[in-house]
Amino acid sequence: MTQGTLAPEARSLLDTASMTDPIISARPRAYYAAMRRHDPVHWDEKLGMYLVSRYEDIATIQQDPITYSVNKGYHSQQAKGFQQEFQQILEREGGGYFPDAIMSDPPYHTRIRKLMEKAFSAHRVKALEPRITKVVTDLIDSVADRGEADAVQDFAVPLTVRIICEQLGLDWNMKDRIARWSIAVTAQIGRMQDREQMLGHAREICDLQHYLIAKMREREADPREDMISDLVHARDAEGQALSFAEAVSLIRALLIAGNETTATALGNLFYILATRPEIATLLQASVDDDRLMNRFVEELLRIEPPVRGLSRMTTREVELGGRTLPAGAHLLLMYASANDQEDVFADPRRFDLDRPNIGRHLSFGGGVHRCIGLALARMEIKVAAREIVRRIGDIQLAIPPEEIRYLPTVATQSIERLPIRFTRRG
Amino acid sequence: MVRVTFVDVHGVEQAVAGEGDLSLMELAKANGIDGIAADCGGACSCATCLVHVDPAWVDRTGAPDDIEYAMLDMVSDVAGDTSRLACQIRLTPTLDGLRVVVAQQ
Ligand code: HEM
Ligand code: FES
Repeated sequence: MTQGTLAPEARSLLDTASMTDPIISARPRAYYAAMRRHDPVHWDEKLGMYLVSRYEDIATIQQDPITYSVNKGYHSQQAKGFQQEFQQILEREGGGYFPDAIMSDPPYHTRIRKLMEKAFSAHRVKALEPRITKVVTDLIDSVADRGEADAVQDFAVPLTVRIICEQLGLDWNMKDRIARWSIAVTAQIGRMQDREQMLGHAREICDLQHYLIAKMREREADPREDMISDLVHARDAEGQALSFAEAVSLIRALLIAGNETTATALGNLFYILATRPEIATLLQASVDDDRLMNRFVEELLRIEPPVRGLSRMTTREVELGGRTLPAGAHLLLMYASANDQEDVFADPRRFDLDRPNIGRHLSFGGGVHRCIGLALARMEIKVAAREIVRRIGDIQLAIPPEEIRYLPTVATQSIERLPIRFTRRG
Repeated sequence: MVRVTFVDVHGVEQAVAGEGDLSLMELAKANGIDGIAADCGGACSCATCLVHVDPAWVDRTGAPDDIEYAMLDMVSDVAGDTSRLACQIRLTPTLDGLRVVVAQQ
């Protein structure tokens, strides 16, 4: 299934590489490039999935959410190997097994999505901005004098958890539990867990659901300015509310979906500030230039996409990128690869704030499943960038870039630790 | 009844009409105009409903507000052309006869 002449390195990558290989997974760009050029819908034998690497093929998939199912792609992965036992534990001890209502296909997805959008109105995002700004500035001020920190563990991760507490209206002292819950839920999709680990994770998820259900009851009786209140009180055009099971699954999804993604984006923000000092200098001079800050956020997301690949399953035989896929084929949409495609983004490895199509990256996906939290995510990253460059400067990596490690998952490319040095400004 | 002509992504003219409290994007979706994806459902956050307003009509469609302008700036030459997000244009009687070109994306 290859086109053109193959350089030996490309041939060897296509024959032997896999996204499951930690070395490839940490530095995947040559693999993406070989696929884009020679085998745009590439079978990754070890992963058991087709990797879709070209912008136009991903766009085709996004416009046809019935042929390319999120529901099947996602739920066939969940708790793989232990599905029944996992569901029984949640039913018995976790208040119920609640399938993910947003990980679904139209027309059901359309209704859920509309109800969920009430929690992501421009009003809600605006209302959160001052609170998030305060969380960001408090956290930076608390580390600014130390001169060194781990940008991921000391900053990105705790910041994201605090933001989620603000957004959902959860209690402040929940930090450690939220981190554990997040791991337990994400472990259910596409990661290796043995039975022992599954049992531990299932127990965490029971704990999470009991906590969320109690919060939902509180907000039902006494609504506040937060997303749990928005969701339990949301009504569609016919006056219908979400079912209890749907609401639990959506609140659980919001807790998880915005967590690792945003934390990863903030880690990447520090990585760019530390490795491209000219950009840091430009930002320092431009904190009040909203246009430039917006463009910076988009280019950051394009060049270092937090979510690199998400899954779909075909519901019928279909042609894609010159290949015939059978029904039931499991696909990984390589958003990170599409963002690097030369004929869409000229000189793609250049951090270029003047790109005419800077907003056309696929880091938030596209089509009906396009990230629902994108306005919130953009705002969070912009606020963080602005307040960081205001408060600290001379940011440098405290380890060689080759030593940066990433979390073991195909779905995101997340820096595990990022030791940095810096000075306090002003 | 407000009549609108869309030039779709294939360059084909489509004359349609709508009534009631509609956005230009909703009118396009209701008529299956190619090139208006409207991923975000009109929340001004995806720019997949990008159109170029016929210069003869820009006075009546008006200028984008700040939020729309910021979105436009990431996908078009907003300072130099007549681009707008169709979801941010309300169809009022004064727009009867409007002509827009759906942007290539
Ligand atoms: C920088 C941060 C973020 C990135 C890079 C990101 C990325 C993405 C991507 C790529 C998708 C598409 C999924 C697909 O193709 O199947 C998605 C969907 C989604 N995102 Fe985000 N996201 C971010 C932040 C958030 C936040 C803050 C929230 C909520 C609080 C959120 C909630 C969701 C939800 C619920 C979906 C599913 C939408 C659907 O299927 O209809 N995300 N996100
Ligand atoms: S529909 Fe998304 S910006 Fe208009």
